[in-house]
This record gives sequence, structure tokens and C-alpha cells, in this order.
Amino acid sequence: MGNRWRTTAGSLTAMAVVLAAFPGSTAGSGSAVTGSAAAKAPVVAKKAAASAHLPGYNTERNAYFGDLHVHTKLSFDAYIFNVRASPDDAYRFAKGETIGHSGGFNIRLSGGPLDFVAVTDHSEYIGALQEAANPKSPLNKLPIIEGLFSTDPVKIGAAFSRVIAAMGSNSLPVEFKDKAITAKAWKEVQDAAERNNDPGHFTTFVGYEFTSAPDGKNLHRNVIFKNAKVPELPYSAIESLDPENLWKRMDTWRKAGVEAMAIPHNMNGSDGIMFEPTRRDGRSMDKAYADLRMRNEPIAEITQIKGTSETHPSLSPNDEWANFEIMESYIGTTKPITQFNGGYVREALKSGILMQDTKGFNPFKFGFIGSSDTHNAAPGSVEDRNYFSKAGRVDGKAEQRGSIPPEGGKTWEGVKEDETSSLARFKSWGASGIAGVWAEENSRDAIYSAMRRKETFATSGPRMRVRFFAAYDYPQNILKRSDLVTVAYRSGVPMGGDLMPSKGKAPQFILWAMRDPNSGYLQRAQIVKGWVENGVAKEAVFDVACSDHLAINPATGRCPDNGAKVDLSNCEPTKFKGDAEMKTLWRDPTFKPNQRAFYYARVLENPSCRWSTWDAIRNGTPPNPKLLPTIQERVWSSPIWYAPSL
Amino acid sequence: MTESLSKQSPVRAFIARAGREPLVHFLLVGALLFGGIQVVRSLQRPVVRIDAQELGQLAGYWSTQMQRDPTNEELQGIIHERVDEEVLAREALRLGLDKDDMIIRRRLAQKMTFASEDTANLPEPDEAALKAFFEKTKADYQAPPRVTFRHQFFNSDRGKDQALARAKEALGKVASGQDEALGEPFLLPQTYSDASLTDINKDYGQDFAAALLSVPLNQWSGPIASAYGYHLIKVDSRISAKTPTLDDVRSDVLAAYQDQARKARNATFLADLRKKYRVEISGMPQTVLK
Repeated sequence: MGNRWRTTAGSLTAMAVVLAAFPGSTAGSGSAVTGSAAAKAPVVAKKAAASAHLPGYNTERNAYFGDLHVHTKLSFDAYIFNVRASPDDAYRFAKGETIGHSGGFNIRLSGGPLDFVAVTDHSEYIGALQEAANPKSPLNKLPIIEGLFSTDPVKIGAAFSRVIAAMGSNSLPVEFKDKAITAKAWKEVQDAAERNNDPGHFTTFVGYEFTSAPDGKNLHRNVIFKNAKVPELPYSAIESLDPENLWKRMDTWRKAGVEAMAIPHNMNGSDGIMFEPTRRDGRSMDKAYADLRMRNEPIAEITQIKGTSETHPSLSPNDEWANFEIMESYIGTTKPITQFNGGYVREALKSGILMQDTKGFNPFKFGFIGSSDTHNAAPGSVEDRNYFSKAGRVDGKAEQRGSIPPEGGKTWEGVKEDETSSLARFKSWGASGIAGVWAEENSRDAIYSAMRRKETFATSGPRMRVRFFAAYDYPQNILKRSDLVTVAYRSGVPMGGDLMPSKGKAPQFILWAMRDPNSGYLQRAQIVKGWVENGVAKEAVFDVACSDHLAINPATGRCPDNGAKVDLSNCEPTKFKGDAEMKTLWRDPTFKPNQRAFYYARVLENPSCRWSTWDAIRNGTPPNPKLLPTIQERVWSSPIWYAPSL
Repeated sequence: MTESLSKQSPVRAFIARAGREPLVHFLLVGALLFGGIQVVRSLQRPVVRIDAQELGQLAGYWSTQMQRDPTNEELQGIIHERVDEEVLAREALRLGLDKDDMIIRRRLAQKMTFASEDTANLPEPDEAALKAFFEKTKADYQAPPRVTFRHQFFNSDRGKDQALARAKEALGKVASGQDEALGEPFLLPQTYSDASLTDINKDYGQDFAAALLSVPLNQWSGPIASAYGYHLIKVDSRISAKTPTLDDVRSDVLAAYQDQARKARNATFLADLRKKYRVEISGMPQTVLK
């Protein structure tokens, strides 16, 4: 019996996650009926908006950490993964409270509360599954869902594949698209955001996920609204799979006073179409298209649990750190990706500046954030030592994600791993994705504005801070000056900005990073440069600061090994290695005033245990030999662009 | 007469005699009544009635989905479907199909919960009650201490002792009134105005936060260690943990009061309900025992 459950659960999983890959993907719903903590403990009364600024207001801006990609029971797939936690529960979790995991254990952030969160349930069939589970609902009578809420895993599996197939062919019964159901869930999303928004302490955004995946190729976007002014209903992939139509709808909203941005993610699962060189309908791009796209998509989610989309080793063969939490399959299946080209942001930024040179517009000029994509209503749950993956009952246990030997085994010897199983995908996922912003205060206005101007950064989980500025004439002593940030802003541009054309001098960059006190020490700071040379876009990774008194080796351009290791028996890092802070002023030695370019910062921590190693240690078994035992956590700043002329 | 009577068969005689018995009259009338009622009943079947209001609702529901009004034929379909649903449901009830069905049981329990919550009017507390409640729950509304301070940073990445020495030396200088900017630039803010101690604790750690509460005001103190290095701190002002007055937080207190009242009512309701039943539980499921 136990075995049977396991196998069925496995295949269910496989099917379940397919969801996201189908054209009209997922949805959840929201009646506030189930036992979520709607009525919350009293909060301190919000101060009247008489005073101009909120507590913590800082003209030089603070780093705030958040998660803009969170699913709850309202999402179609999450509900099937047995997740019953509501948007309210998600916000409670983000504030540091404990909530239940669908696997029957409690979960809590170990790194402390987040500063801001958006719940982004799949708009497709949002709330419909919860509705279908309600015997009073007309959905409950539909033959297609028969067995979906059964206790027999075989019946659940059969029902689930029926539902998925219907989604794939867009032939779900019309009842699933009932606007009343969507409206109810959409209201629950808005109400929870409103209830939990606490300016100065914790910011919420109303949002949803536009779940388009033509032929399973991922074009998902999260739509984040600036404030409580939102459309009556989300614009979903049921209406159109073409993101261009979403942007047009967003333009319409904007005219009506509804401000929103779309944030694409999992370019790695798009099989090359996220950054394809033409429009989705095959027409060629033009300036109007580029403007439309950038007006609506100023930033991109470059890292999350389903892998990191900064770059791929095959695209960046000279980047020794390119192989970071790479996912090489379609979303929700083990179908392999064949086109890495067009699925990673570094390359897209390069294509963008090349297009700017050759065609006069750039549709790929975006900043970076990370986010989790948790389907457990658990924002920020990307902590390697406190990892429970993201798909509820399906991957909540170590054995389900391939980090410990199956069936209580003590060794990996003789264990055959099916690389086409869902488990194979879960073990390739990473505990990654936090959004960082530089904003004056913790409010919707300030954080949203930061995202608009791309003064954002992405981390692989730890809450490290990175500052990144560029100018031509910073004072030589700037790094030692107490007004460093004031000067950096006054005479330069921050991350996400545009450098004025050079009058002959090469630009200087201030790269300044601070560790997360709850995570490791910093090992090296890098600047990634992309540029156009004779009509070809190129890239290079420069080490610009080393930890532990080390100097960059002029022959290799790299920091020497600082000797930081990890004891794999207990995940203890080598002591006294790495720095709390890295700070440097770097002038680009390869700069040519006539070459269009972009620069972004990447700062690496010392090696630390990957989640799979933590799982193994807790289980008293060796780490899975097929998985990397350690990773180097990192932070990426948004790029700064250089243009040869205005 | 007697003769002719005696000529009758014994059966006839019995019937004749019985015909005179009041008990028999009673039974006969009873049987007739019973049979009649049966006949009437068979003519009078249970009624399924769909009234105009419900019909309007169903049609409206259909129109919202299809974005047009139903045709007469479609309306017939809607009605048929509704009737079928009703008779199926009644038949299912008659056959006891609702028994041992978890979903139906849950739904019923849920409806009962709602019903009991709806009927229980929430009390509007008088001032004294609200005040008493607030006094009891004051701690929930307490605002953390707030601190206005500056700090100077000494990076210890190049050696702890060295950083500590630099910090101490700087402390000596600032104490004697020298230039205050002796520390190094710091990535987090170096001046905080009215900052919540909770936030400081999150970014700098407990030792640093505790020091902010204990050092003397308006003078440089330290060095204090944090996860980043050493700091000198100068606290300009402190507001200790503040408990608001009832008026500051009245609407929140009222909401909490009513929430609590609702919970208490529900608990009482359930407790009373439980008293109406004798609960028997036998054994534990195998899985739990394992």
C-alpha cells in the first residue's frame, strides 16, 4: 500500500507540475471558508498620514527584501498539491509567523520577516479548484473532476490528467471560467493584500500570474499592481497566450488610472522563446513594440526555485560561475530544453544593445529581481538549511526530491534514479530567489517606484545588500568618504540607470556589498560586462574585489582561491574566510567610447551547503553523488547601460 | 322465524351475528378509511416546485456565463436540469446516500457553523468592558522602543584586533571633542531617526540593539560588535516601549474584542452541542499507532 501510494504520488506529481506548462495553466480560488487565519491578532494602529515620511525614511534609500512570486490554495496547481493555505497565511508567513505545510509539519522563515510581498496566484481558473471541491458548486458535478478529490490516489491521478489534458486543449468546461468564481478569488487576493499592508513595516502588492505557455514553452509573467486600484478581473492567458496582448491591456488599464508592471520569469523554461528575436505572432519588432514591452516590463525575475536564468554554461563558456542552479527542462515535465539561446537574461541584454545599435530600439532593457515561486504560500522560503521545496505534498519530503536514498536506504549504492521522473526535476531545483529594492521607505509607492527605475537586485536567498553606481569622475577618495552614497548618487547613476555618453573617459563603478549576518561571508565581487564590438555582442566577467587581503591575479584576472571550504559532515564553513563587506572603485580597462555596453555586479559568498546536502545530513545519509554538494550564494545588481550617444 | 333462522348455514349465521357487532363496524370503517387514504396518497406525489425567483436566478446565471439570454429551448433545458438535480438529490436522501459521506458531512457542519455565527449577534461592548479588555491585552498593542542615534563603523575584515584598536582610538578622540567622522563608510544608514528597535535588531543583532538602550545619552560609546565589525554609537534620544491609549487603537481593540466574543460564543455553542451527545471513540487508527 505504501509503495503504491508512493508511485502514484510520483506520477501525480509529474502530471501536477505539467500544469504550469500548458497554455491555460493554473488557477485557485478563494472563498474564505476554510480555516485560514482571516481574523488576525490586533495590529498597532496605523499612524495618521499626517507626517510626511514613514519610520526609517532615508533619502539615500534602504535595501528592502521581498518576494513577488507566491502561490496559495487559490492557484489551480497548488490546490491539487494539497495546499490549503490562503493569501492571509502567506502574508503571516512572510511576517515571520508559523504556518502549516500540506505535508503535515510546520514551516517558518529562519531568516526573519520579509519587508514586502505580493501574492501572485495563477489567474487561469483562479479559485476554480477550491470551488470544484465544494459540493454545492456546479463544478462539483462535472464529470471531468470526478475523482479529483477522492482519497484514492489512482482516481486522483486519473482525474488530474483529464483536467490537465482539457487545459492543454483549452476544452475545460465553461463552468471553470465562471466569472463569479474568478471575481470571488480576486477579491480574496485584494482583501488579503489590503488587510496586511502596513506602511513603514510591511508592504503588500495585489498581483497575479499570467500563465501563458504556448506548446509548453514558458512565457509566464507576474503582474504587480502599484496600489489597490486594480482591474475588475485579471487579464489571463485564457484570453491570449501572447504577452503583447497583456501589455496592451496594461496600457489600457494605465489610461484608466490602474498602474501595473509585468515581471517575466523562468526564461530558462521557455525553450528560447522568452527573448525570441521576433514578436510572438511572428511579425518583426519595431520601436513601438520595444517601448510597449519596456513600459510594461521594466524588471525580470532572474532566479527562483525552478532554476536561475542569468546565463547558461553553453552561452557563457568563459564564466566559471555560470553553472548555478541550472534547470534544463520544460516547466512541469522532463522534456529537455533544446534552445538555451533566448532563455537567459545576460544574452538577452546583449541582444538588446545590439538591436539598439542596428535597429534603433531595445526591447530587452530590464533590471533584475529574484523571487521564490513558492506554491506553499511561504514567501521567502528559499533557505538552503530550511528548505521544503515549493509544491506542497508533492515534494515536501526529502525523499520526494531525491536528496536522500529511497525507501529508507542508507547508501546511494545501487540506487537507480529515473531521470525522467518528477523527482529528477525536483532535485535540480534550487533554494533561490529574493527580490531586493533600494527605496526611501517601506511603502507601496516607494518600492514600486524603485522597481520602475530598476533600482533592484536579485539574490539566491541570503539577504545580502549590494550598491552599484557608475560615473566618470568620482573623487579618488570616495570609498573612504562618509558622504559616499550622497556623492555616488549626485555625480553618478545607480543600478538600473543610464550613463551619459563618455567625453573620452572610461566609466568608474562603485561596487559595495554587505553580507547577510544570517548567511556566509563574501568571497569575491565581480562586474559582468556586455558590449557591442564590430556588430557582435560580447561579454566578459571581471573580478573586481577579493576577500581575505587577496589581490587579483593580473595574469588570469581572477581572485586567487581564498581557501574557504565546507565540512560536508556538518555543513560548517571554514572559519575566518571571506569578508563581511566588499567595496571597490573600478574603472573599465577595456572601455571604448563608441561601444554600447551594459554592466552589472555579481557578488559571491564562500561555498556553503546546498539544500540537498542539508537534507542528507539531517537524514544521516551521504549526499546524493549526482548533485553538487555545495553552492556559492550570490547577489546580482540590475545593470547600468552605457550609450555612445544620446 | 326461529326455524327459518336455524335453516341458515352456520357461516351465514356467523356473518349475520358479526354484522351486528360494533367492533366489526369499527374495523370495517377503519379499513375503508385506510384504503381511501392510500388511494389519495398515490394520487398526491411529492412536489418539486421551482418558483419564478429561482428560475430567474438560474437563467441569470446562465446569461452571465454565455453572455446572452437563453432561448426558450435552452430555458427548458435549464429547468429540466434543475428538476433532475432535485429529484436525484431527494432520491439519494431517501436511499440514505448522504450517510457516511465526508464531503456532505463537512458541508453540513460548515453550514451549521455559519448559521450559528450568523444568529449570534455580536455584542457592542460598553466602554467599561472595552476598557477592561484593552487593559488585559495591552501587550498586543505595545510599540517597540524607538531610538534616534548615529554610529561609526570599523570594518574587521582585515583583523579584529586592529579594528577594535581603531575603534577605541576613535572613541578617545571623539570623547575629547574631536572630529566625529572617524569611522568608515557603512552600507546601511549611519544615522537613524526614531527607528524601531525591532528593525535595528533585525539588521545589527541583539547586542547592538541592547546597547542602544543602555548607553548614556548624547555621548559616544562603544565599541559594540555586530555581524559586520565594530561600531561606536551615540544615542540622541530614546522612546521606551510605548503602550498606546485606548483611543489610539480603539478600532483595532473593538475588532479584537468582537473577534474574541465571536470565538467564545462559538466555543460555548459547540460545548452545549456536545453535551447533547454521548461521544464514543473506540481505538486509534493503525497509522497513528505506528
